Amino acid sequence: MIQVKNLTFSYTKKPFIQDMNFEVEEGEIFGFLGPSGAGKSTLQKILLGMLPGYQGSAVVGGVECSKHDAEFYQDIGVDFEYSTMYEKLTAKENLEFFSSLYDTSGKTDGAQGGKKKRDLDELFAAVGLENDAEKRVSDYSKGMKSRLNFIKALVHEPKLLFLDEPTSGLDPANSRLMKDMILEEKRKGKTILLTTHNMQDAAELCDRVAFIVGGQIYALDTPHNLIMSKGAAKVTYTWLDDEMIEHSASCDLLELSQDKRLKNLIAENRLQSIHSSEPTLNDIFIEITGRTLV
Amino acid sequence: MSSLGLASDRVSTTYKTKNIFFGRFMKLLIWDMRFQMRYGFYLLYTFLTIFYVLVLTALPEAWKGKTAAILIFSDPAAMGLFFMGAIVLLEKSQRVTSYFAVSPVKAFEYVCSKVLSLSAIALIVAGILSKASGCGLLVPALSGTLLASVMFTLFGVIVATKIISLNQFILFTVPVEMFGFIPAIMHLLGVTPSIFRIYPANACMELIGGMGISVVGIFLTIVLIVVLFVIACRCVFKMWQEQGGVKI
Repeated sequence: MIQVKNLTFSYTKKPFIQDMNFEVEEGEIFGFLGPSGAGKSTLQKILLGMLPGYQGSAVVGGVECSKHDAEFYQDIGVDFEYSTMYEKLTAKENLEFFSSLYDTSGKTDGAQGGKKKRDLDELFAAVGLENDAEKRVSDYSKGMKSRLNFIKALVHEPKLLFLDEPTSGLDPANSRLMKDMILEEKRKGKTILLTTHNMQDAAELCDRVAFIVGGQIYALDTPHNLIMSKGAAKVTYTWLDDEMIEHSASCDLLELSQDKRLKNLIAENRLQSIHSSEPTLNDIFIEITGRTLV
Repeated sequence: MSSLGLASDRVSTTYKTKNIFFGRFMKLLIWDMRFQMRYGFYLLYTFLTIFYVLVLTALPEAWKGKTAAILIFSDPAAMGLFFMGAIVLLEKSQRVTSYFAVSPVKAFEYVCSKVLSLSAIALIVAGILSKASGCGLLVPALSGTLLASVMFTLFGVIVATKIISLNQFILFTVPVEMFGFIPAIMHLLGVTPSIFRIYPANACMELIGGMGISVVGIFLTIVLIVVLFVIACRCVFKMWQEQGGVKI
């Protein structure tokens, strides 16, 4: 679906995106992870054909991004991090308007070019906004706008979805609902490009992730492989000394039997707590890039 | 297009492309009119038209023709210049322009829709005022209004894409008003030499005021409109690409 080869882009004389190479398969959820200013948005703009002055190649759906026409967007859905709605219109009017911009001249999603439009009522119900569809967007909360923005990207049944921080500003229940919807879209065969700071979301949703810092890809693999390749699971335990002061220590799970202090604490029945933990994607990101996701 | 391609199942015949264009353009036009209705444009012009008709009714017969021409030229015909600023700034502030940048809408569809939707209001109001004045012929007056409306709306689009605040818009439209309104009103009052009939604003004013038809003037007006249309489309495309923020 997407092929990027030797991609370099610069706003000034200094390269902002440097020699990027990656491919995204059809039906894959691919995550761009990186701190602010890392180049994620620029990369997304290049793939959306909005920054044609790049070097190298960026091909989306067989079309070189610098040479696309407006019909290129017929099969692309974009969920911006911010609201892109007419505030004075109702949510339903907004979706009716934006869905009317796409070619739906055919009756089926078949080879004749026309595509099915998504049922708006179903989409509203899917994100829990069925009772708010007739409300003006200006009366929506941030979380409601975020959900509305997401379904707006789906109204024309795109094959490729760009999602920018889709769970930002959502409470845990709606965040869960949104993630389930993203996974459902993947099951339907959509290719999804996810840009996020949220490592937990990325680990849960993405088939593969790319760590981007300073316009370069530092690592690209499945979240599981990244975690397993860099860190062993650790065991952390705490105990109290004679003066009732708490201490803690940790060791690798594989070297647990060689930890004499732990053995003694178990023998003396002095352990206060003990738990094992795998490194998170965030730990791996920091280890590989030396940066935090701020 | 590749087999993986997004466009693999598109039919690219000219007939279909034209259908898509007209289908989308008509939808844009209808929605633009709905937005304008929702934002009170039609209500505002209903009140303004009633007010203008009352003013015209109260004037002596000898004054009606010229007053109606000035009213039509400076308000409904030029409304696009002012309202495009409000419309585009509103879209910028609500970041709708970001979405247009990644939609199949083409810049010329967007510009045509805006121009025609505002020109529709201009034509209705101009028609009523022309009838109320009882002077001149309706068809030339409406033709002049349409040309002036398209011209001023395109100026409005160009200026609106370049600015980030209402204050800037007001400032940037001053030269357009000076070069658009003053010569045309002077021409209507007969204080400019006949050579200035070819000046586009004057040619429009002649039509609205029932003063005659300057073929060269109309030709130059159409040339200017074509040039402004090309510039406006480029400006809109650039604005979408930039997706800048805005202060109102």
